[in-house]
Amino acid sequence: MLFQTWPFALFFAIVYPAYLALRHTRFRLPLLLAASYFFYGWLNPLYVVLIAYSSALDYFVAARMEKGRHRRAWLAVSIANNLGLLGFFKYGGFVTDNLNALLSSLQIPYEVPSPGILLPAGLSFYIFQSLSYTIEYYRGNIERERSLLKYATFVAFFPRLLAGPIERAKNFLPQLHKTPAISAQDIADGLSLFVVGLFKKVALADYLALYVNKVYAAPEQFQSPALILATFLFAWQIYFDFSGYTDMARGIARTMGFRLMLNFNNPYLASSLGEFWQRWHISLSSWFKDYVYIPLGGNRKGTLATYKNMFLTMVISGLWHGAAWTFVIWGALHALGRFATRELERTSFYREKVPTLIKQLFVFVFVTFAWIFFKADSLGKAFMIVSRIFTSGLADPHCPILAIVLILAVWLYQYVHESRAGWVLALAPVRVTTVVLMILYLTVFAPSSEQGFIYLQF
Amino acid sequence: MQEMQSEHKTASGREGSSSAEVPFSSNGIRLSGIEWIIAGIMCVAFFVAAPRFWGRFEKFGPGTDYRMPYALGSDYWLYSRYCRWACSHYDTLVVGDSVIWGHYVPPYNALSHYLNQSAGREQFANLGVDGTHPAALGGLLKYYGQSISDKKIILHLNPLWMSSDKHDLRTDKEFRFNHPRLVPQFVPDIPCYKEPFSQRVSIAVQRQIPFCNWTAHLKTAYFQNMDLPTWTLEHPYENPLEAVVAGLPAPANDDIEKAGSWKQRGMGQQDFQWVDPYTSLQWELFREAVQLLKERGNTVFVLVGPFNEHMFKQEGVTPYRKMKETIEVWLQQNNVAYCIPEVLPSELYHDASHPSAEGYALLAKQLFADKSFRATLLPAGTPNP
Repeated sequence: MLFQTWPFALFFAIVYPAYLALRHTRFRLPLLLAASYFFYGWLNPLYVVLIAYSSALDYFVAARMEKGRHRRAWLAVSIANNLGLLGFFKYGGFVTDNLNALLSSLQIPYEVPSPGILLPAGLSFYIFQSLSYTIEYYRGNIERERSLLKYATFVAFFPRLLAGPIERAKNFLPQLHKTPAISAQDIADGLSLFVVGLFKKVALADYLALYVNKVYAAPEQFQSPALILATFLFAWQIYFDFSGYTDMARGIARTMGFRLMLNFNNPYLASSLGEFWQRWHISLSSWFKDYVYIPLGGNRKGTLATYKNMFLTMVISGLWHGAAWTFVIWGALHALGRFATRELERTSFYREKVPTLIKQLFVFVFVTFAWIFFKADSLGKAFMIVSRIFTSGLADPHCPILAIVLILAVWLYQYVHESRAGWVLALAPVRVTTVVLMILYLTVFAPSSEQGFIYLQF
Repeated sequence: MQEMQSEHKTASGREGSSSAEVPFSSNGIRLSGIEWIIAGIMCVAFFVAAPRFWGRFEKFGPGTDYRMPYALGSDYWLYSRYCRWACSHYDTLVVGDSVIWGHYVPPYNALSHYLNQSAGREQFANLGVDGTHPAALGGLLKYYGQSISDKKIILHLNPLWMSSDKHDLRTDKEFRFNHPRLVPQFVPDIPCYKEPFSQRVSIAVQRQIPFCNWTAHLKTAYFQNMDLPTWTLEHPYENPLEAVVAGLPAPANDDIEKAGSWKQRGMGQQDFQWVDPYTSLQWELFREAVQLLKERGNTVFVLVGPFNEHMFKQEGVTPYRKMKETIEVWLQQNNVAYCIPEVLPSELYHDASHPSAEGYALLAKQLFADKSFRATLLPAGTPNP
């Protein structure tokens, strides 16, 4: 069930009044959990079994850890179970494909059967969320959640279930312990977030997807200008798509009295790769920092070790996004970009003389280039696109001017918002007019085709 | 990455936050309750005013023999507008599918033209829509023909829609039929209609809202039946506003398919698998359309066929006659005036159901000679031409 569809509108129109009516009673959490499982089961009822199992196991593991014996072993059980689920559903095909390629190259006449199982939507998100709970409990940073109902609701909370943000137990579980206070401003805030998210998704991401998908479906038929523009548009499409989802998720949660973390903060205004990752998918990058980068040693063992740890973290992050070599390359590229901008930032010339706008442009161009590997169906196709960008001729790209104008308008808005002139955008008439224009654009001009969220596949 | 995080700035921006620990957003678009009310009023005002204002801004002058332009066959907002216009200018509205619209003939050779010619005045308006069928016609009248009340109606029943399970929309296998947005989305169930639940809800909601119909009109009339984003993909460097101010497409005469008679076109006799009217979906929905029109105070006259019976193989004649008898009995039992005209000469058909220009002229004569037609639709004393 996607937020921008009528079934979700119907679902929420039923769940929300019920939630408001029951939120002061002991039926609040059962309702939330039932609604969340219904929301998830709408995609495939079997998914509910998986999420219920995952939640129950980590709840049980934490209970065993509380008894004080074999804490490390129980943590290992949780990690093995969660990563095992992820590995089985997400990486089974990738591993067998590569094994078979290896066997074939060694001329061994054996083929490992492919699991052929579709990845359940949102699995990577709730697995990481549940895993963070057991790790934090093991580290002694949080109390054990004694109610299975609360824990299951924490894992399955429907606004963030499919694509995050990946909430931390210490942020979200306490919100389940108390009756949420829902003010009129919460509802207004929720609406504001939802409308902005809906606009990003439906009016912008789905629009850009039309051109991007056309070019990336057959890149061999397009020349340099079209490939560059399609990659440029994809950079914005994926931002609008994912941050739009997050905005809507946060808005829905807000109207129910819950605060979900900020996941995107104008990432294309970053002036270094490091800053980009502070602004892009914040809940995931902080997860990797806490549970991969720091356990690897972080920056405590010298420059070389720091870069090694950064590289490993980024490559694993790439693999998290998808089981394909394209994502590994994408992660590695970001690691290399991070090394480059980190070294550049150490020079006073780069720090003080190079204008911020140039740095932002450099980071944006680099990130956009890396998206080629993220978007392409295969490594071969990605390299072909890169090659054609530099070697194919110039031909009319037939890229809609309107799409470029919309992107520039959004970029300008973000730029002004973060500049000293940002107060202009904070004026009530400007805010109200912006919202009204977004709603009118959505209702009059939005694409009629309904597209899924890119990040649901992860 | 740790460094990245240690450099992490507070993302709340300058808009502030009601929650200290969770930044609100990265764009500052945050409205208060009052501001939302103002925004809501502005949007609702636009939703209500825009279609009405557009009706005044957009030039629409249907003249003699007007019919919905072929390219705008799915522009139901325009159909609704045309209905209102036709109701105020004509006594009798001729409603039906492509047989009424005049699929193989120009507008000045369609049935309504010859009826007007016989009447000696502009009495009959062509409200046919190419591609419709009883299931869609019911929706067209229900949602977009609301202005049709206290009028005289000729409602055409094309037996073609009961000539096979597929025409009757009863096959389980999915296939794309015309005007899916007009058919019942949930009840009765149409077995071959497999649209996702989400899309059905969307259609059911949107056809109730004039604003949504108006936006669909913009897409159909000005953006070649595409939404704006898809249109810009086809016309990347064109200004969408220029397309909008260009005006409605004219009901051109060249959008008709030139064709000879059915035999000249190489069509042979066919074995029609007539469905039982008692189980026919199309017949059920046609009856609902008749009842709807009657409930709105209209005087309904049903024209059945004339189907091209020359196309029948011998074994198809009896089931067709039985089906016609069943239809006739229902019309009689429900006091609906009707005419089942005699079959036209073979050469006056382009296919199984569409007459040629001469066929329409002959059909108009047959109708004017029909007692029930004269009694129901013509003023007393109208001469038989």
